[in-house]
Amino acid sequence: MRFIYLVLIMFLTASSPIAQNVLIKNGNLITITQGNKEKTDILITNGKISKIGKNLDVPKDYKIIDADGLFVMPGIIDAHSHIALDVVNEATDPNTANVNVGDALDPLDVNIYRALAGGVTISHAMHGSANAIGGQCETIKHRYGTVNPDELRMVGAPRTIKFALGENPIRVHGEGNKIMPNTRMGVEQVFRNAFSEAQIYMQEWDDYKKGIRKTSPSYNLKNETVADILRGNILIHCHSYRADEILMLMKVLKDFKVDKICFQHANEGFKVAPELAAYGASASVFADWWAYKFEVYYSTAYNAAILTRNGVVTSINSDSDELIRHLYHEAAKTQRYGDLTDDEALALITINPAKQLGIDKRVGSLEEGKDADIAIFKNHPLSIYTIPQQTLVDGVIRFDINSDPDDIRVDINPTEKYSSFYENDRNHHERNGCLKGIAELLMAESYSKYMRFKYMKNHNH
Amino acid sequence: MPNRFLGFLLLWIFCSTFSGLYGQNSDAPKQISNTYFLKNCFVVKQPGVTLAGQNVVIKDGLIAEVSPNIIPPFDAQMVKSDSLYVYAGFIDGYSNTGIVKPENKERTKINDPGNPPNDLAGITPQIKAIDQFKPSEKSVSDMRSAGICLSNVVPRGLMLPGSSDLMLLSDGAQDRMLLKTGTGQSFQLEPMRGGFPSTTIGVISKFRELYRNANIAGSHDEKFKLNGTGLSRPDYSKELVALYPVTTKKLPLYFKAQKTKDVHKALSLQNELGFDMILADVKQGWHHVDQIKKTNSKVLISIELPEDDKKDIKKDSLKDVKSDSLKIANKKVETLTDKNPEKDNFDQFREKSLKEYLSQAAIFEKAGIAFGFSFLDAKTSDVKKNIRRMIENGLTEKAALAALTVNPAQILGVSHLVGTVEKGKIANLVITNKPYFDEKSTISYVFVDGKKFDYTEKPKKDNKPSETGKFIGKWSYVVEIPGSTQKGKVNVKKVDGKYKITIIDDSSPNVEDTAEEIKLEGNNLTFYIMADMGQPVKVDFDLKMEEKSYSGNISITQFGIFPIKGEYEGQPD
Repeated sequence: MRFIYLVLIMFLTASSPIAQNVLIKNGNLITITQGNKEKTDILITNGKISKIGKNLDVPKDYKIIDADGLFVMPGIIDAHSHIALDVVNEATDPNTANVNVGDALDPLDVNIYRALAGGVTISHAMHGSANAIGGQCETIKHRYGTVNPDELRMVGAPRTIKFALGENPIRVHGEGNKIMPNTRMGVEQVFRNAFSEAQIYMQEWDDYKKGIRKTSPSYNLKNETVADILRGNILIHCHSYRADEILMLMKVLKDFKVDKICFQHANEGFKVAPELAAYGASASVFADWWAYKFEVYYSTAYNAAILTRNGVVTSINSDSDELIRHLYHEAAKTQRYGDLTDDEALALITINPAKQLGIDKRVGSLEEGKDADIAIFKNHPLSIYTIPQQTLVDGVIRFDINSDPDDIRVDINPTEKYSSFYENDRNHHERNGCLKGIAELLMAESYSKYMRFKYMKNHNH
Repeated sequence: MPNRFLGFLLLWIFCSTFSGLYGQNSDAPKQISNTYFLKNCFVVKQPGVTLAGQNVVIKDGLIAEVSPNIIPPFDAQMVKSDSLYVYAGFIDGYSNTGIVKPENKERTKINDPGNPPNDLAGITPQIKAIDQFKPSEKSVSDMRSAGICLSNVVPRGLMLPGSSDLMLLSDGAQDRMLLKTGTGQSFQLEPMRGGFPSTTIGVISKFRELYRNANIAGSHDEKFKLNGTGLSRPDYSKELVALYPVTTKKLPLYFKAQKTKDVHKALSLQNELGFDMILADVKQGWHHVDQIKKTNSKVLISIELPEDDKKDIKKDSLKDVKSDSLKIANKKVETLTDKNPEKDNFDQFREKSLKEYLSQAAIFEKAGIAFGFSFLDAKTSDVKKNIRRMIENGLTEKAALAALTVNPAQILGVSHLVGTVEKGKIANLVITNKPYFDEKSTISYVFVDGKKFDYTEKPKKDNKPSETGKFIGKWSYVVEIPGSTQKGKVNVKKVDGKYKITIIDDSSPNVEDTAEEIKLEGNNLTFYIMADMGQPVKVDFDLKMEEKSYSGNISITQFGIFPIKGEYEGQPD
């Protein structure tokens, strides 16, 4: 349940059409791909960067942002998040290629605004990791202030799908429902089965179209989607930790001639960095987060740096509605652990995730012709003293530190009693993680333990 | 333990207007004649057209005559109707009227959760509402007492609960009450538990697949019938057969879409698959007016509105603050809450939001969308109150009456039979002592299918105290949780004429949880407790009480639903 909100909605809806023509004056530009440019202007026309240069003329009716002394960089891109989604896991089947989280986008999620406040303009809203083949994901632009889910979509971004290796699918299906996969071998077999079935399915439809078969086969959305992966129309983003499993999936994909793969988390990615580079696989990792379950015990904060220096297209992601607000700090950690250059470090949260999502022709750097997704910082974004000032999506100011009201919710339930976010979001910590939505499945069994814990606790008091 | 007993909200007594109480229906003597004569009435022929001094003859279930110059037929029963207002019977576009709520069954164990049987997954489009319809169900007489003579009844269920039937809310035999069968298929974003589809994205995905396969199976069937020689024989699927009329646009799809995101999902799916759609039970649809107009979708607005008792809400939230921060003295809390700019701000937002909900009908009227009303789970005693709130927020009386009569008749394809007070139409009439939308108006008679229901007698004051004293005592409880059994006691008491329920678990006899929001409807007792499991967790109780025992469910957010039962043990402690 969320809430409606007065002043800002007027500001946002009113400003949307007007502010797409903007001149950002005298900023210290960090273009990522074309070096740094001091005291330079960016002209934004109809939501796109139309010109970058010094002392540009101000066309009529352009909004001017004075960026003198500030740092201007492309909007940050998060290749792994679960914000702005009403549903994350359809955890009932080891293969749910048929579902699409894009059907449950939540433009009212205040976490979109929180991400904007950290300079993040695009995130990859992913299905969870309960299933070996999870659902399709949606690349979204953080156009907060709308009630229309379609306005979040980045139209034209390639389709993506979530895969998952290891403990999560095993726990949910093998241990939970006593079906395959109950082991890591089983996970591999789920992929092989799905690809093989999709090949047969494609053949059936081909036969029907050629007239070899007289009646139409049944329509199977799961096979349709996996067939689209085989055709190269969908990018795989695979939840993974261990090196052996990463190698396993690359082998499976090689057998089925699929080459587009990004390994998510990949905490042991550094062990197989040359192999990843050779396959053309990319990796999206945490800066320094591991040891939260058994298969994630072996990792290092040098992971991103090792992957980068081995030629793997690497990004740093959040997978969290909190961490998403300071991805620039996360990127900076690779300078402490791995001595990456400024451009290398910032590429981890801009052009590299853009490549992994197949949107690098449109976003991820400050270049003429690209979308005007821009983050403006006070102090260098890799400095611990940096503070986001303004965030623009398609030339529209969606976050401004000088106009940052307390209550930013877009929709208010008229019978809601509580006023604060905290009270409204009591179960907040469970809300936007990879296993969102399967608490019930996992906890039905452990419920009795919880109850015992509860009464033990009260008893001892 | 804090005393969490809130003490508001007791016993919901739906007394006032239930016709079931008036004892005139089934026990009444056999009708001498089914001809009636209404003398000298104001006839509201259709929205915006009121004729004074009219006489109306009802004969054999039809309106036989409406005219100032007729004399009563020799066999007519005279109805005391001088100067009363006669309206066309109201029409409900979408509800579960007459459909019994299913018992909470224990969950069937599903071996392959990714591929559960269709009936468990809620895919039952072959079910017909009339097969579940019970004329004696309380909701039928409740709806009738609010002037609703015709209901488009939708079966209860999950994503595809079945096809809807148009029922006259009389009290005769089930078959006689049917006006039109198969008005449409119904679709809801309701996932199942423990199997696919368990989420809205699963439901949408499953619907896409079923829709396409209904088309494929349908044309395969046709091909086979035309010339089956050499063709593979089509598989028979009762579900796909039932959906085929939707994919060929012979039957509309009633898409239940309450909140803005649901309406968006409905419009997106409609755009993708192209079915004829009726948006049903819309509560927050004003963002989508343009799209609705563009796609020519039909709309049934929910008769339900958010409650507006500001004072109660303020008091409650203060109470919550108190219980949340026990350590702070009461006085201090009050000052804190009184001078809380965040709260003031919030109250303003909420008021604005409420206003939007109340203005929805007016916004649709201004956009020129001829909407009807849906009465899903509606509190029938609030029908007029809610319509009046819509009128206070900009809806015209003419449009309100249209939404109750001619519009739903049009949407349901029966405007040649019902919706106006005209000769030849079915005798569904609502007769009031003042214009219906007047605050003080009451319903005197309702005619359904030519049968008279009299509401002029005041309901007898029931001796409520004996009713409210029910189920007092000490009760045992046993909750079955996978892997363990939880036992304890439920104490049901009356304090100052109000129920007070406390719960003590055997594992910690010193801790007492106090129930909140206690409601008793018939023998159905519901309440909740806030249990402390590290953080407060809401535990909802839904109990079916009998004299010496009870059974039911507790449901706990994020954990699931668990069966509970118990027995009467004696006087409360």
